[in-house]
Amino acid sequence: MMISHELTTWSILLFLLAATILGLGGLLARKISIQTKGCVLMAIAFVLQTTSFFLGFHKSFQGGLSAGAYLQIFAWFTALTGLIFWLKLKQRTALTFAAPLCAALFAMSLPYMEQTIVLPKTLQSSFYILHIGFLFTSLALMAVSFIASSLFLFLERRIKSKQRIKGFLQDMPALSVLDTINKLCILTCFPLYTIGILSGLLRSKPVYGATFSGDPKEIVSLIIWALLAFVFHNRLAAAWAGKKPAMTMICIFLLSLFSLLIVNTLMDSHHSFTAN
Amino acid sequence: MDTSIYLVGLNHRTANVDIRERFALANQCSQQLWAIPCSEQIRENIILSTCNRVEIVASGQSKTVDELLETWAKARNAPVEELKPYVYTYAHADAIRHLFLVASSLDSMVVGEPQILGQLKKAYKQAAQAKKTGPILNRLLHKAFSVAKRVRTETQVASNAVSISYAAVELAKRIFGDMAQHKAMLIGAGEMAELAARHLLHFGIQELFVANRTFARAQALAEEFSAHALPFESINETLPKVDIIITSTGSTDPIIRARNIAGVLRQRKNRPMFFIDIAVPRDVDPDVNGIDNVYLYDIDDLKEIVEENLSSRQDEARKAQKIVEDEVTSYLAWLKSLEVQPTIVDLIGRHERIANEELTHTLRHLDPDKILALAQASPENSKAELQNLLEPMLKAIVHKINHEPLMYLKGESTHLGQIERINTIRNVFGLK
Repeated sequence: MMISHELTTWSILLFLLAATILGLGGLLARKISIQTKGCVLMAIAFVLQTTSFFLGFHKSFQGGLSAGAYLQIFAWFTALTGLIFWLKLKQRTALTFAAPLCAALFAMSLPYMEQTIVLPKTLQSSFYILHIGFLFTSLALMAVSFIASSLFLFLERRIKSKQRIKGFLQDMPALSVLDTINKLCILTCFPLYTIGILSGLLRSKPVYGATFSGDPKEIVSLIIWALLAFVFHNRLAAAWAGKKPAMTMICIFLLSLFSLLIVNTLMDSHHSFTAN
Repeated sequence: MDTSIYLVGLNHRTANVDIRERFALANQCSQQLWAIPCSEQIRENIILSTCNRVEIVASGQSKTVDELLETWAKARNAPVEELKPYVYTYAHADAIRHLFLVASSLDSMVVGEPQILGQLKKAYKQAAQAKKTGPILNRLLHKAFSVAKRVRTETQVASNAVSISYAAVELAKRIFGDMAQHKAMLIGAGEMAELAARHLLHFGIQELFVANRTFARAQALAEEFSAHALPFESINETLPKVDIIITSTGSTDPIIRARNIAGVLRQRKNRPMFFIDIAVPRDVDPDVNGIDNVYLYDIDDLKEIVEENLSSRQDEARKAQKIVEDEVTSYLAWLKSLEVQPTIVDLIGRHERIANEELTHTLRHLDPDKILALAQASPENSKAELQNLLEPMLKAIVHKINHEPLMYLKGESTHLGQIERINTIRNVFGLK
């Protein structure tokens, strides 16, 4: 049987779109069985994407990472995080909301897959995989935390202000569950992000001549790290729960999106996707 | 077939509680007589008797209703005239529709309440055990159960709480999710608070504390709920331990103040707290709701939710009525198919009888030895001999089967016009 890169890519996108339609459709129509089917399709898309990585279809690994590859890896880690929450906490909603995000990231990646950034030899080492891997895992955790936090704030506001929770909102996880998801994301995201940043800073000296070169990406990343450290500390030491960590995680995720979509594409940085 | 379905009954709309009690049948029937004895008029019947309604569903002849009412009144030692003003009577499609509405809880005092279906199932089981149901009511009741299930799954008629205590517990679930990991405290002992505590226990709350000004009352309640009794003075020191607090004391001043909650939250490491204040005047300072991770609902908030839910159930009930109409049509179609059943049986029986008569006649003239000898001598000859025997038999069968249709066609047994007769025969036998 012929398995091509193109066929796999389109199959993954198809599964992600079907998972989005069934997941959100089931959620809105309050049909658990349909929503669960969406989650199963999401799991299939994840397995396919993982297989495609192992089969080396991800061309971008050969000479560096393209903007498309970045987005696909981000989608993969987001799907992984959603799957973990589905299987461990029995929360379909996390995966249901991860599905459209993954589908959008995957679809957006396709036009940019061929724009491979040829990395300097100094960056073509295992440290680079470590750097990217840890940062993208934490980015995926931030994405899931963003979804959980947004839902938490929305539902909390309704409960506090005594507004009725109608329709599909009745099937959303309880506030405590959303807060637990947020907590787990923060507790795993901060150490992973720290390793990602440290691996980058340590490698920066031999490559760019300085540990910190004032690159816009480095500045934004350090701000994100500081915010993560702040929320991580407060969750553990000051027993932060509920609204405050939710609002902080929303800010952190939006800043990370700014870093990925604006700094990497529009600003002059040695992390720029436009470099050739 | 002149058998039809009838329903007679009274409910909370047609009769007050005194009348409903006067004509209740729930405890009047012995285990062996869970239904009215069947007769020439009443072929099958089921009695549904609950605190809000008494209804008898029966299949039978045209005078079934009169006999049902007389038997019912007699069972309660009352003249039938005393019963009649409170009774509604439905026949055929209306009776089927009413039963489906009852089963789906669309005719209940609180639309969507789940008990009625269980009560109907119990009534059916008892009638079936007493052998008072037959094919018509068996099918009708099974259909009623499936209609109720459809209504529950396809509409939201039963999805929202319509009692204050249940609404409070639903809110608690929205905040905490799994109740098994949370603790609750009941302060005071109002009826609604007790009911809320009962719901919390039903949903598996981990631990329940009961505090009351009268410690003996707290102990009695704690025993009833398998909870821990607390002296009223120890409420504040118990607050950090509990997630859900239900208050219903007669105190004129708030017993829980916002300024005390900040410290409690620190001790709880900001884990959320939910106060359900059912007392009037209120037991919990309204400012408590302004504190992060603390939620407060008082009796008015809960009443508002219940009213909205009731109105939303009415909207859903309108959707459910459409489902009921579809199912009534489907049941009537089945009932109609029963009416042609005897004709089908007679027609097939007639043709089988003709075929059997001709077969017996043919076999009487058959000589087995002659056939055997012919078969041994020449298989071809035996085949021809058999054909000679069977051909007249088949012709006779065809002739006899077609005799009546041909008489009909010639107009000898009907007053219908020739064109109509020709069309009927051509349609029946599929002639082009």
